[in-house]
Amino acid sequence: MNGWMLLWKAVFILGVALFAGMSVWVTIGGFGDIKRLFARLEAAHGTKPEDE
Amino acid sequence: MDPEITRALSQTNFTAWDWGIVAVYLSISVVIGLKVKKYVGSMADYVTAGRGVGAALGVATMTGTEMGLVTVMYSAQKGFIGGFAAFHIALIAGAMTLLVGLTGFIVFGLRKHEVLTIPEFYERRFGKRVRVLGGVMLALGGILNMGLFLKVGSMFIVGITGLSSDGRALPMVMTVLLILVLVYTVLGGMISVIITDYIQFVVLAVGILVATGLAIANLGWNTIFEVVATEMGEKGFNPLVADSAFGLEYVIWMAFLGMVGCAIWPTAVARALAMDSVKSLKKQYIWSSVSFLIRFIVPYFWGICAFVFIMTKAPDLAPLFLEAGEEAAPLSNLYAMPVFMGRILPAGLIGIISAAMIAAFMSTHDSYLLCWSSVITQDIVAPLRKTEMTPKARIKLTRILIVGIGLYILYWGLCYSGGEDVWDYMAITGAIYFTGAFSVLCGGLYWRRASSTGAFLALLSGLVAVFGLAPVQDLLGISIPGARFGIASIVLACLTMVIGSLVFPDRPGMHDVAKTAEEGGDA
Repeated sequence: MNGWMLLWKAVFILGVALFAGMSVWVTIGGFGDIKRLFARLEAAHGTKPEDE
Repeated sequence: MDPEITRALSQTNFTAWDWGIVAVYLSISVVIGLKVKKYVGSMADYVTAGRGVGAALGVATMTGTEMGLVTVMYSAQKGFIGGFAAFHIALIAGAMTLLVGLTGFIVFGLRKHEVLTIPEFYERRFGKRVRVLGGVMLALGGILNMGLFLKVGSMFIVGITGLSSDGRALPMVMTVLLILVLVYTVLGGMISVIITDYIQFVVLAVGILVATGLAIANLGWNTIFEVVATEMGEKGFNPLVADSAFGLEYVIWMAFLGMVGCAIWPTAVARALAMDSVKSLKKQYIWSSVSFLIRFIVPYFWGICAFVFIMTKAPDLAPLFLEAGEEAAPLSNLYAMPVFMGRILPAGLIGIISAAMIAAFMSTHDSYLLCWSSVITQDIVAPLRKTEMTPKARIKLTRILIVGIGLYILYWGLCYSGGEDVWDYMAITGAIYFTGAFSVLCGGLYWRRASSTGAFLALLSGLVAVFGLAPVQDLLGISIPGARFGIASIVLACLTMVIGSLVFPDRPGMHDVAKTAEEGGDA
């Protein structure tokens, strides 16, 4: 049982630490991606409403 | 409702300030839905955001979709019942997503074909009838799968806010949340879904890290493990031990689910198809493996903490959530985690956490509603019509279907009376679609001799999974683990694909399509 306990402790701590680091990258990088997405959509279709 | 249950559930730190925080968040989401409406110009924009999503945003939207409130709730239930042994599901899910990201198994092939939906690939490879049947199976399994989302998500809101003193609270919360999510999904499609997924990711990431820290601070890191060891013994840690809530058969079933959850499940694949390049897609999956681990492991941990809290600090809750001998607990153990959160989180923070959870709820609903409705439009209705549907007509039909599916989940949530855990219900309903889809996609992408008859039979094999549902078993007077039916339907789907293809091969001309598919399928 101790082996399993150690494994789950390690998986949990490592997972949460990785997630915390990834969150910073996604928050910053995702904001830039949103700006590029809208620029791309505007370039492709203009900003005219769909029912025009 | 029993006065004892009402009293126990109403003890929460949720205040008027917290309601204010939640209201502000929901307002922002609806405004975004209205604002991005102008960017929807075609069905590709509406369903895949014009295939213009970068890697970081792709990870955010994948996490936002797959870490819904229903995931948090059913995972907390698994942790509450199974202890740390439930962590194996999280570890497998993370490892499988990493593997798919590194190898490109299935998803690279689909992205290279630039299809909008999985059944669209079926048509290119196997013809129209396979596409339509694939669409029907996908919609059937998928819509049944999300049948409990609304109810389970609303149970969290009811539990954490203490609204439970009123017996009508649950249907009222279900209705309000459904209306909100329908408004901005109908208006904005995938573009609004992706933007709200991003906001949800940011709020949720902060929320889950803070809530986890507070849970540990409240109970004590070592105490959590010690209490589980004392109360559950080895079965609280080892998923393979004979009397655990899992067992070897279940672990094998979870390994398959871990793979299909990221490579075949349509809402995850929809994220892959929205990426701007295969390189971004690879990056998205590799990073999302962390999300696929976290989306299970953190809620399992919260469920375990709720169990430890009841055993050490709130014995008044024990008779409500824990079985007494043969007698079932009077209250669903789904409420255990939100009640625990409602008691340990301080006012103000509880509002932020609730907003994060409602964000999770909404981002999952919008993605699922969009996914199933677009499949019905693109893969069932449009191919069966004699005349070509215009993009405007397709978007209009998709929006009508979103509302129809929304009304169905409200009805199903109030009526379904199955006794299985929510996760097991979802696994078995999802199997109706993904067991057949697994063999058809593998055959279509990687085996030139795969035929349309083999694909047709494989898709139908998924129906075997229906027998794993508790109400169906009750009707037939049988009691067989759902995992066994799930594994049986995988084996059957693979066998029918192989035998059907060998016995009924396609005409030689169709192999040109097969060759194209194989080239696209090379990872």
